[in-house]
Amino acid sequence: MSDREFKRVASLADIPRGQTYCITAGDVEILLCHAAEGVFAVANLCTHAAARMSEGKLRGCRILCPLHGAAFDVRSGAVLSRPAREALRSYPVKVEGDDIYIALAE
Amino acid sequence: MSATNNPTPGEARAPGPSVADTLRRDSREVPAPLLEQHYAFLGDEDLPVERYISREFFQREIERLWPNAWQWACREEHLPETGDSYVYDIGPYSVLIARMDDGGVKAFLNVCTHRGTRLIDAQGCAYTPSITCPFHGWSWNLDGSVRNIPGQWDFPHTVGDSHNLAAVRCEVWGGFIFINLNPEAAPLADYLGVMPAHFAQFPLERRRIRAHVQKTLPANWKIAQEAFMEAYHNFETHDSPHGANAQYDVFSKYVSRFIHTIGSYSPTALADYPGDKWRSPPMSEQEMLADLSIEGRSLAAGETARQVAAQAIREQLQAQLGVDIDRCSDSQVLDSIEYHLFPNMFFFPGILIPMVYRFRPNGDDVDSSIFDVLVLEPLPDGAAHPEPPEPTRLGVEQSYTEAPELGWLAPVYDEDTGNLDLQTRGLKTSRKGLSLGNYQEVRIRRVHQTLDEFMDQGKPFR
Repeated sequence: MSDREFKRVASLADIPRGQTYCITAGDVEILLCHAAEGVFAVANLCTHAAARMSEGKLRGCRILCPLHGAAFDVRSGAVLSRPAREALRSYPVKVEGDDIYIALAE
Repeated sequence: MSATNNPTPGEARAPGPSVADTLRRDSREVPAPLLEQHYAFLGDEDLPVERYISREFFQREIERLWPNAWQWACREEHLPETGDSYVYDIGPYSVLIARMDDGGVKAFLNVCTHRGTRLIDAQGCAYTPSITCPFHGWSWNLDGSVRNIPGQWDFPHTVGDSHNLAAVRCEVWGGFIFINLNPEAAPLADYLGVMPAHFAQFPLERRRIRAHVQKTLPANWKIAQEAFMEAYHNFETHDSPHGANAQYDVFSKYVSRFIHTIGSYSPTALADYPGDKWRSPPMSEQEMLADLSIEGRSLAAGETARQVAAQAIREQLQAQLGVDIDRCSDSQVLDSIEYHLFPNMFFFPGILIPMVYRFRPNGDDVDSSIFDVLVLEPLPDGAAHPEPPEPTRLGVEQSYTEAPELGWLAPVYDEDTGNLDLQTRGLKTSRKGLSLGNYQEVRIRRVHQTLDEFMDQGKPFR
């Protein structure tokens, strides 16, 4: 992780636990998810039909798509239920004090 | 056995003090329902093995039992806000339960009214503010009414509510959302019988889900649940003296109960159990107190382990949870008080033993079931329900000790479920039916007799 470039994207105060917060980096929407296990970042568009996950709901570590009900694990982006088949892209996150950083490049 | 030892079938009881005798020594007023006794002899014929292992019997349950039985699908707190929903699967059937704008809940078959696609695939919590079929994009409002049909011009025959989601009967009791797939089913209250009155002092809606563990078991759902319907197995399976003199009640076709006292047992009830353990000599009150994990407290003359343990637990819960249970009887605090609701649900009104169970077939596998354990902790007065935990899912080979949230219960469940595979395999090499104790296993017989009514009279799903 150390050789990745982390960029400050939000303040922890913006995202109460159990909530999500959508940011834009260039033309990419990224969803920050504050679960009990920590803050995680995944692509905001569902891999099934490109609905915005920010209009869905975070339940535990699952993000639920509002359109067809696909579920993903926010910790890894992994698909938990159909109709999605591909994982959401997941971004490394660092939290330092009140600052949330994510690494955009591979 | 001589006939003199077996007078009228069902009249014999374990020797020594009964549960009622123990309850009479309670330090508080015991709620009237716990003092009731409702036993009736229901027969002593063997149960045919086929009820547990035959695919034909299982298939008939799918057609006649599950589409007609009330069953809890989830808790109210699983869907706290408008648009929250929950998917509950039973056998091949899937039900979607949704929280409406007005705070009520409705349930629907989880299936598209166009060409029958399952709408939400995952079981458990979902979010469906505008549920949309992944096949052609038909969508519905939360109340099940059609929201949009793409290319409506081609469907002039969808008129009025013809293509609304199919409603499923849905009622709430004790914070549990129950469903029934039969639109003409009798109301849930008919089914619950005495339960609302018996749970009035400690309403289950004022409890939170402290733990939820869902395990796959290698046995038919009835084999699995019947391992929990009597305390007769406690001596051999759990190496425990408690349970040999438990009380068994059958209140109706749908509701039965056992009360199995903790911290008190009858040594004479163990007279013909193997060995002298707990009988000669019996456990002292002081040893029983240690058995209840109360260490370093010497009993004064006249004090009993039950009274002292119950008081310690009252004080501990008051400090830990901010819940006032001072008026709760020793029995409510300590004992295993287990109500069974036909066909597959168990509810405990107790404090130390506060679980809810549900046993379901695992898909279409005769020999596999899903066992949900909920530990329901009292919620302080006025407190809102916190978000319920995601279930911890355990496979057949996993131990309950991998779910640390179960605490002391975990090794007990390992013991209970350790026999299931042996019984399943044993039944397949048995020519003889299953024999039941007239008293201690009467609840099992009651379930089978009610099951027969559903198998004969239940309305087929289609």
